[in-house]
Amino acid sequence: MNVQTIVVSMLPEHLLLGGLCLVLVLDIAGRPARTSFALALATVIAATVAAAVLATSGYAAATFLGHLSVSPATSAGKAIVLLLAVPVLMLSRDEFRDAQFPLLVLASLYGACLVISADSFLTLLLGLETLSLPVYVLVLLAMQREDSPEAALKYLVLGGAATGMLLMGASLLFGWSGTLATETFARALDAPSALARAGVGLVLCAFFLKAAVFPFHAWAPDAYQGGSVPATAYMATIVKATVLLAVVRLFGSAQLTVAMTALVAVPPLVSIVWGNVTAMRQPSFRRMIAYSSIAHAGFLFFALLGAAEGRFQAIAFYLAAYGLMSLVAFAALPRDGEDVVDDRIDSLKGLFQRRPYAAVTLAIAMLSLAGIPPLPGFVAKFLVFRNVMAAGHTELAVLGLVGSYLGLYFYLRVIQYMFMSAPAEGAGRATLRRHAFAASLVCLVPVALLTVFPGWVLGMLRG
Amino acid sequence: MADALMLNVVLFLPVAGIVYTTLADERRPDAVRSVSFALMLAQFALTAWLYFRFDAADPGLQFATKLPWIPDWGVSYLIGLDGYNVLLVLLTAFLGPIVVAGSWTAITKDVRLFHAMVFLIQFAMLGTFVAQDLFLFYLFWELMLVPMFLLIGIWGGERRIYATIKFVLYTAFGSILMLAAMIYLVWSLKTTTGVTSFAFADLYGAGLKPSAQTWLFAAFALSFAIKVPIVPLHTWLPDAHVEAPTAGSVILAGVLLKMGTYGFMKLGFPLFPDAAREATLLVMVFGVISIVYGACLALVQTDIKKIIAYSSISHLGYAMLGLASLDLIGIQGAVMQMVSHGLTAAGLFLMVGMIYERCHSRNLADYGGLAKLLPVYSVFFMVLTLAAIGLPTTSGFTGEFLALLGTFRTAWQAHLAGHDAMLWLAGIAVTGVVLGALYMLWFAQRFLFGATRAPHAEHLTDLSAREVGILVALVVAVFWLGLFPDEPMRKTELAAKQYQQLVGGARAVAALPATEPRR
Repeated sequence: MNVQTIVVSMLPEHLLLGGLCLVLVLDIAGRPARTSFALALATVIAATVAAAVLATSGYAAATFLGHLSVSPATSAGKAIVLLLAVPVLMLSRDEFRDAQFPLLVLASLYGACLVISADSFLTLLLGLETLSLPVYVLVLLAMQREDSPEAALKYLVLGGAATGMLLMGASLLFGWSGTLATETFARALDAPSALARAGVGLVLCAFFLKAAVFPFHAWAPDAYQGGSVPATAYMATIVKATVLLAVVRLFGSAQLTVAMTALVAVPPLVSIVWGNVTAMRQPSFRRMIAYSSIAHAGFLFFALLGAAEGRFQAIAFYLAAYGLMSLVAFAALPRDGEDVVDDRIDSLKGLFQRRPYAAVTLAIAMLSLAGIPPLPGFVAKFLVFRNVMAAGHTELAVLGLVGSYLGLYFYLRVIQYMFMSAPAEGAGRATLRRHAFAASLVCLVPVALLTVFPGWVLGMLRG
Repeated sequence: MADALMLNVVLFLPVAGIVYTTLADERRPDAVRSVSFALMLAQFALTAWLYFRFDAADPGLQFATKLPWIPDWGVSYLIGLDGYNVLLVLLTAFLGPIVVAGSWTAITKDVRLFHAMVFLIQFAMLGTFVAQDLFLFYLFWELMLVPMFLLIGIWGGERRIYATIKFVLYTAFGSILMLAAMIYLVWSLKTTTGVTSFAFADLYGAGLKPSAQTWLFAAFALSFAIKVPIVPLHTWLPDAHVEAPTAGSVILAGVLLKMGTYGFMKLGFPLFPDAAREATLLVMVFGVISIVYGACLALVQTDIKKIIAYSSISHLGYAMLGLASLDLIGIQGAVMQMVSHGLTAAGLFLMVGMIYERCHSRNLADYGGLAKLLPVYSVFFMVLTLAAIGLPTTSGFTGEFLALLGTFRTAWQAHLAGHDAMLWLAGIAVTGVVLGALYMLWFAQRFLFGATRAPHAEHLTDLSAREVGILVALVVAVFWLGLFPDEPMRKTELAAKQYQQLVGGARAVAALPATEPRR
């Protein structure tokens, strides 16, 4: 553990921390929020670049032995998460006039980076809390909505429950193995001990809750609807991505036993079906996206059924495709009237007539989320099911695919509203929001890359 | 090399069209239409050039391009022309300019988006035909859904939302199962031979266990059968056709339905030969049901578009019959039937669109005696009707006759081996020809002859030069295939032989349970 290793391996974290302090100082010094915003954006971009460089250069180091280590895979994961944060920050500019949002996002991202690199349950817990606490505030920040406090409270209580389960699971695993290292989780997967099994189960449930997998999903629709658009976007993409990257690291190179297969397969499978079926009937766009994200969490956990070598690649690619496309959708949402009014799916009616660019990008996002080729959502799904089938779970893969078919309808319904219905009375020809437009452009560039050269990206993520 | 590049140009020309329509000015719709038409015409010219350069004596892939795309999975960008797709590619490119010209006055809303969607579906359809890699094939296959969904949903009739959602949900269900089967197929290729590849040529030799073949064949067949469509999976088709704008109907009947029969020919049967041979009788049964049931339904319709929609089901039943006969003549007939139906159905839907633009009614009872009011229209309508029935010298005859002939040849072999079921089926299929003549002629009689009446009859004008031009092109093509079928059939012959060989045509009869041979 020398200073140079600490400086180099945790460069993205250091940049985030430095940016955070600077933004704080500037805010206290009374500089305009625009400066803080620009600084935060620059910080996140710099951290993304740092993580990407670390990933491509194949840098690996055990920064704090047994607690935190960096490998090309963790750096690639960080790069994805940080990249997703760039459009989120840009989106927030349309809604938040002061420096609160960038501050909270920077703090939360620091936690995300810790989680992705964590080698011990101690670091993991620290990171998860650093990741989540700012998000509770983010949901509350949208106080113009009546249900914001309720959503934030729900999210807080259930987040606390998740932390509790994780702690309990970790202590059981500690009791079984005598160490807090996360690798005990992978060893405990096929251990015959009841203690180990209970520990694994609790830890897994904690992550199910954090990622909103059935039956721990009920908080998501309220929290998504309660938060404002950028907060929802943050929860749907970055929090979910971080949790999944942590899970894939926990599973490591472990092969699943039959009993574990059931535990890893059934809740995600039910999630896929339940999320997709319930999303059909939602009158609110963000609630619909929440149920869709429950289904997508199911697909992501499904990837764990595949062989160990392919898991990281599948999950990382899926997260990138899913995250970018969700952000494109959030950027395209009309925000002309009140937030509550605009959140209704009805407000999308005739969007193509009013804002063709927004309608087309939102349609592309919906098609990608539905898994229609050649958009990246298809390749991501294909990769997951290919791995699951190659691991010998043919029936599960078929069930998952049929579950994904169920989702087609509500994605198409959004397109139907935008292109095939007349605009509602009094819906004006809204002006395009500058920052949302920029955010969607920032997303569409990597999306194009994922669409045209998926092979190249997959090669990068081989792990 | 230059030829291979040309095929890529043909494939990606519609993408250029999409870019153009995105940048064009919505306030100048005629410019959008003209440029789109010119692009489509250029595409057809290039395709025709490729078609004439296509070497009928070469059984391999011609004008092929192969680039690694997702090397980890063995996916490559592999496209090329062969005897299977060459005629269908030509048909698709031929209908492109016709679709644009046919919608010139009918589409006034969102003109740019409309042409972008026509280009997108053209891209997807051509891609599906020329793809020689299963992953690429699936990509284009699914991509077809999106523009069709919008074409029906935006520019369609009153119940367009219902029709378009039904269309997508039906076809996507088949696709999902095909996707599962496809992943399994490639994975088992890897486990048996160690090769990771999606190329058709590699997959033909996957050497699957018969039990696995049955499931995989079922999944592929379901997906293709929905697209054809084969009764009882056909119920999306009448709704889609009735609600679609003329351009949508033309694309749907002209090319999209052929995806199903092409899929059976290129993938469904040859990939799983053991299962396919077991299933030939079943496929024939469903083919015959489609022929007869489609014809019976067409007979009793009162909506003009529905008559032609149901006739499509009936006509493609012959193609299925020909493919399942595994007889060289039958297979050739099936291909001709696909192309011929593409021309006649597209023409009839265009003509229905033309009269709808004038009278705003699709109800057959509203019409009568159009021959007096619109003589030019009526001549063309009669020619296309007769071609659809299969009058000798038209393309319809070539297809239907050869498909039936092939079926009878196989059925006779089966009969000699002691199985009469096929002979009965072939016999019933022939009644479809009579029924076909019945419903089409009866339709023409009520539509064109008898007491003169039509909504807004006093304002009726006969065909414009644009409309005549479109129809002349179609009629020329119909007679070309009817009078000189030799030239196109030579180009498909080697593919038909290869198909027969892959499925094991000689053993089609042998696959039937053994009985006492007859003297």
